[in-house]
Amino acid sequence: MNASMRRISIIAALLGIILVLSRPATETQAQENTAPLVVGVIRDRQFQPVEGAIVSLIAVGEGEPISAVISQANGRFALPLIQTSPQGDQENSQGITPIEIDPGAALDVHIERAHFADSLIPLSEQEIELLRNGQTVALPDITLPRVVNIAFWIASAIFIIVLVMIATGKLHNTLAALVGVAVIYAISYLGHPLNENLYIFDFERSLSFIDWNVIFLIMGMMIIIAVVENTGIFQWLAFTAYRISGGRMILLLPILMLITGIASAFLDNVTTMLLMTPISVQIALSLGISPLVLLIPEVMASNVVGISTLIGTPTNILIGSYANISFNDFLINLTPGVILAFIGLVLYSLYIYRKDMASARDISPSLLELLAERARITEPGNLKKAGLVGAMMLLLFMFGERFHMIPAVTALIGATALLVWVRPDIEEMIEAVDWTTLVFFMSLFIVIGAIQEVGMISLIAEMIGRLVGDNLVLAMLAIIWLSALLSMVVANIPFTAAMLPVVGFLTLTVPGAESKVLFFCLSVGSAMGGNGSLIGASANMVTSGISERAGHPITYGYFFKKGFPALLITVGLATIWLLIRFL
Amino acid sequence: MTIPKTEHIICAVRGGRESRQTVTHAIDLAVEHNARLTFFHVMDAEFLGAATPMLSSIRTVYQQLHEMGEFALLILCDRAERRGVTQVDCLVREGNIIKQLFQFALETHAEIMVMGRPVRSPGNNVFKPAEFDTFVAELEAETGLKIISVQPKV
Repeated sequence: MNASMRRISIIAALLGIILVLSRPATETQAQENTAPLVVGVIRDRQFQPVEGAIVSLIAVGEGEPISAVISQANGRFALPLIQTSPQGDQENSQGITPIEIDPGAALDVHIERAHFADSLIPLSEQEIELLRNGQTVALPDITLPRVVNIAFWIASAIFIIVLVMIATGKLHNTLAALVGVAVIYAISYLGHPLNENLYIFDFERSLSFIDWNVIFLIMGMMIIIAVVENTGIFQWLAFTAYRISGGRMILLLPILMLITGIASAFLDNVTTMLLMTPISVQIALSLGISPLVLLIPEVMASNVVGISTLIGTPTNILIGSYANISFNDFLINLTPGVILAFIGLVLYSLYIYRKDMASARDISPSLLELLAERARITEPGNLKKAGLVGAMMLLLFMFGERFHMIPAVTALIGATALLVWVRPDIEEMIEAVDWTTLVFFMSLFIVIGAIQEVGMISLIAEMIGRLVGDNLVLAMLAIIWLSALLSMVVANIPFTAAMLPVVGFLTLTVPGAESKVLFFCLSVGSAMGGNGSLIGASANMVTSGISERAGHPITYGYFFKKGFPALLITVGLATIWLLIRFL
Repeated sequence: MTIPKTEHIICAVRGGRESRQTVTHAIDLAVEHNARLTFFHVMDAEFLGAATPMLSSIRTVYQQLHEMGEFALLILCDRAERRGVTQVDCLVREGNIIKQLFQFALETHAEIMVMGRPVRSPGNNVFKPAEFDTFVAELEAETGLKIISVQPKV
């Protein structure tokens, strides 16, 4: 085929696509031109669209509604005044038959939705006249007030119980969230016939709360991590840090913190600490110092630096997907603040461990040889391939938004490319995907969706909104510090997921917040707050577990003593950056 | 009556500050009897399940933990050699600590096992003091090993 033929084919194909795409629009237009409509938008008090509301037109004094529709995901509805034939068709031989409205008739628009108060909007005489003339009536935006019923309390109680179960470790995270989901469904389906106020939501509605972008991004990253972690890169990096520092603690500690931080910015913090802790313990034992001197600063660096990219922490993945914040947005708006906080953290760590560091001795030649042997790259070929794919993914994360490529797509492309190229055992890779974690996220989305559905989140948003008023600085401080302090005791993933709609509301209502600054505040608070207590972050718990296996337990008191001042320093410095950047 | 010669001593330790007295005692005994000394460590990684290690394969982590435990024991071996113990080695196993201790005691022909008594410490002890005494009695009865428990200084 020559060039001109190819061009003609492409043009023909494009014309075909345009014709196909334009057809439904023409039909819609035809409908719009022939049927009188009542159109409008329904929102809640947080300006969020209300989906699934039954909107009906009622003639005053008549029992049955004249017409009824259900509001869409964007809260919009278009109520057509069309005669319905006995067969249920809305068209007669001529096309569409508008309903005839008697002169002097009074009409009301009635709106009904579970968890909201019913609303009745009388149409004015002018509006009714417009409808009689076959024209469209656009109603002003409708705000539906919430109702607090028994479903509200049940869904809220389930959410709190799930949080407590996760925090206390009484149930595995996934099981706790799954039990929450099961109870919500049981109450909605079995309780609803007994008392209509027991209805929370149905299965279909619950699925709409699952953020598939988050699920697929995490799944893609799991496959990539499974390839990278077997290469021995972490062990090599840690030992290289020792070699570069020449055993001088004043250099070794910051380098190890930097390696951990950078790794955490691209991999999950828990994975980073799982791989960094054993080699760090070995280096510390060789130097004759307590492993905690290295481990505590490392895990704190992981919690701080992890948030500098979109993929560094699950909380950032949640925030980025919800608020449509890109990889570059995180780099531009958060990374300088993270660097500032990291410098503060390094200085603080060098200060608190100055005496322990002074007691470090030289590593004996035999131990050094052993360390060197263990710190070799075990799969250099795979590491090279992973490095190339990683670089390609980084480019796609940074520039993919120009092609509307969401991060989940980049992660899946990267993971698949790596699988095809490296050709590992596919069964092994499937095992490497932590399905439990994915189920945890899906269940969590549903549990949080339930409290969103019943209005709990709206209530919290309204309270915080009233507290901060129009003051952006106050809103920023409230979100950062509230998240930081609560993240010390509440698991930060469910906490962040629950806070997203709240921050979304404040972003719409607080002047100046449209820059999405409050989402960055949430990211900083929920991640850096994890440094305040041992249970504040999963990475802390994993580090503590490994350290204890080596005979060096990290107590709650010890971690709080070292971690809480670090929280104040890092969150304080990040707050200063955000204030400078966004005010 | 002849007292059987002590040829092999096992020192079961977790490592860390609390193990110091236990290790010192085991080395002293090995020097005294000119016996072989084996440092034994059990890596119980059950905590990983509870901590929900997201996005990571347990296999790699287990290997890392094994190497970490072995490294800690190699440092103890180095210490014993410096004190003049001529035959010293170490072994790390994974799994339930009590089961592994029993199994290793049955497999080996050692005469003495040196262990640290549980103390009130920041970490999670495998044994409560009363349970420890029962365990020692059972282990001695079933394996014929002599258990020496050392009170750590904390």
